[in-house]
Amino acid sequence: MFPSFRLSMTWLHTWFGLVMGFVLMVAFFFGALSVFDREIDRWAVPETRFEPQPMPSYDKLLAPIFAGMKPREEELRLAEQRVGGPLPAQKPVMNWGAYTTHRDPVLLMFAEFGITNNPNDPDDHVHGWFQIDPRSGKIIPDDRLNIGRDFFYPMHYSLHLEWMELGYWIVGFAALVMLAALVSGIVMHRRIFRELFTFRPNKQAGRSTLDLHNLTGVVALPFHFVFALSGLVIFAGIYFPIEETIFKPHAEAQGMADARARGLAFKPAGVPAGLASVDAMVEEARRRWAQRGMPGEVGMLTVNHIGDRNSYVSIYRAGSDRVTLVGQGVHFEGPTGRVIFEDPPPSAVQGVNDFLTGLHLQHFRHWLLRWFYVLGGLAGCACIATGFIFFVEKRKRQHAALGTGGARWVDAMAVTTVTGMLIATLAILVANRLLPVELAHRGEWEKGAFWGAWILACAHACWRTAPVRQAKLAPAWAEHCWAIAGLGIAAVLLNWITTGDHLVATISRGYWPVAGMDLFLLAAAALAVVAARKLRRHGSEAGAAAVEGTDGDPVVPQAARVAS
Amino acid sequence: MILFLAVATGFLGLAWLALAMDVHWLQVTGTQSRRPAIALRFLGAAALAASLVLCFIADHVSMAPLVWVMAIAGGALLVAFTMAWKPRLLRPLIPRIRARD
Repeated sequence: MFPSFRLSMTWLHTWFGLVMGFVLMVAFFFGALSVFDREIDRWAVPETRFEPQPMPSYDKLLAPIFAGMKPREEELRLAEQRVGGPLPAQKPVMNWGAYTTHRDPVLLMFAEFGITNNPNDPDDHVHGWFQIDPRSGKIIPDDRLNIGRDFFYPMHYSLHLEWMELGYWIVGFAALVMLAALVSGIVMHRRIFRELFTFRPNKQAGRSTLDLHNLTGVVALPFHFVFALSGLVIFAGIYFPIEETIFKPHAEAQGMADARARGLAFKPAGVPAGLASVDAMVEEARRRWAQRGMPGEVGMLTVNHIGDRNSYVSIYRAGSDRVTLVGQGVHFEGPTGRVIFEDPPPSAVQGVNDFLTGLHLQHFRHWLLRWFYVLGGLAGCACIATGFIFFVEKRKRQHAALGTGGARWVDAMAVTTVTGMLIATLAILVANRLLPVELAHRGEWEKGAFWGAWILACAHACWRTAPVRQAKLAPAWAEHCWAIAGLGIAAVLLNWITTGDHLVATISRGYWPVAGMDLFLLAAAALAVVAARKLRRHGSEAGAAAVEGTDGDPVVPQAARVAS
Repeated sequence: MILFLAVATGFLGLAWLALAMDVHWLQVTGTQSRRPAIALRFLGAAALAASLVLCFIADHVSMAPLVWVMAIAGGALLVAFTMAWKPRLLRPLIPRIRARD
């Protein structure tokens, strides 16, 4: 099919990279944002702007709050559809738990309630959850959208396409393509070490764009490779659902055997019983962790088969001091407080899996590494964006001569996914600060602002990339940069106006989640201004020179950098 | 502080490795003068190794390699951008090498 291996790799890299690049851009960018999802939440939900708290006392604070927990209304409605009629008045609570990390001021509390009258599923259940302020036990109103954790983060791995888990599959396929693109990119490149530090911004646009593409791809190659791979490992259960298909009997037998081996009751006994002091169990768990040489805080605590003789309490350690994501769970008999089982050290295979998962999900406490992850993610964005630009730069003159619009439409899509995505991201933040607090379904409006802004940006990009047909630079890039600058500054100002937390206050208080957000927004706005000005200068130069077709300049990659 | 040193030595190592290449040597010195390539490579590799050791001192054994790999990535970007826009800033690294050479 192709005369040489390199040409076949080039074809693969170009076309798979182009098509899946749009998805990868989203995955990389929102992945980079998700590194600081909790901090974005603090910015978006001003009521929760206080210091992270340890797990509070179960006996004193949490137990009465758990007792008052209710199932979520939307879950009940879905359950009614499953049952095909009204639900029983009594929905016995099955288990509950609480979860926190070293970055969470709020504590997430959750519970499962049994639905006893579903003829098709005796184990049918619904969930309840909310967040509390662990200092006072006050429930945080749940009509607020946690933009970081509940919107940007799912965007990273599912694109918010829930139907048939389609988003997971698309992102998974994109990750696979990413791995192929990295390998084929290395084959194409040939001078990896000789040109490792090569970036020639003053060469013609195609050359300098390619330099930046190679630079951001190669120097962060380990990051790109490991993150694409570990992302696939995390969702391997979705991509290879063998536990649900061919190996289902084995998987079930294994689950039962595991439960028996641990001595943890699979089902309630049906005999009511009380619960011993959970605080004492927490003490014991901490003592055991310290004995193993890994003292730590409680990250998650669950109580299963509540009020039953078979109840048990599982206490997991917050994994903030190492990469590997393991809980070192200690499990206690509920009524007596006796230790039933302590999770053993993981096997070698499980250890690798835990390491890759932990590396990707980063529960650890290491701010420098977190920022390095953002850098890696943004380098990935820059790599993909410059890939788009190179694609267009390489073809636009040829397409203009032929009168075809291919390069123009690719440019329109590139503008939409690069700068348009930034506009959408800033739009949701601006909407978050602008919409009235008492607005019903406020979170939905915020999401609407995100998608609406993106659609507008797409429409604008399609309109203002028309000059690409004459092999000129699309004005859409610069105009989007101005929009980014305006929205970025607006978000910071609105945060100040609506909450009073301006930068001087947050920095002097040392409250970095909000200060960092504001500084990052301002930096993005400044970079967007620089890019817009350079693009304009280039646009006018190129406009004059377009007839001779001599537009060569360093500006387009600049835009790509800003865009990331 | 140790982490800062680790990142800084990582950057130094990459800058020296870059200086060992004739293109970048020309960018920084502006001359085609003979460069102590072997010494530069040796220094660069040593600095990178030192950076890794510092990472191991600063962090848990599972965390250190990640920090190091990412510090190298960030350092390489910084070296490349400095070479592109302000190559003269890397000049102070040269006399020091000569002194040790």
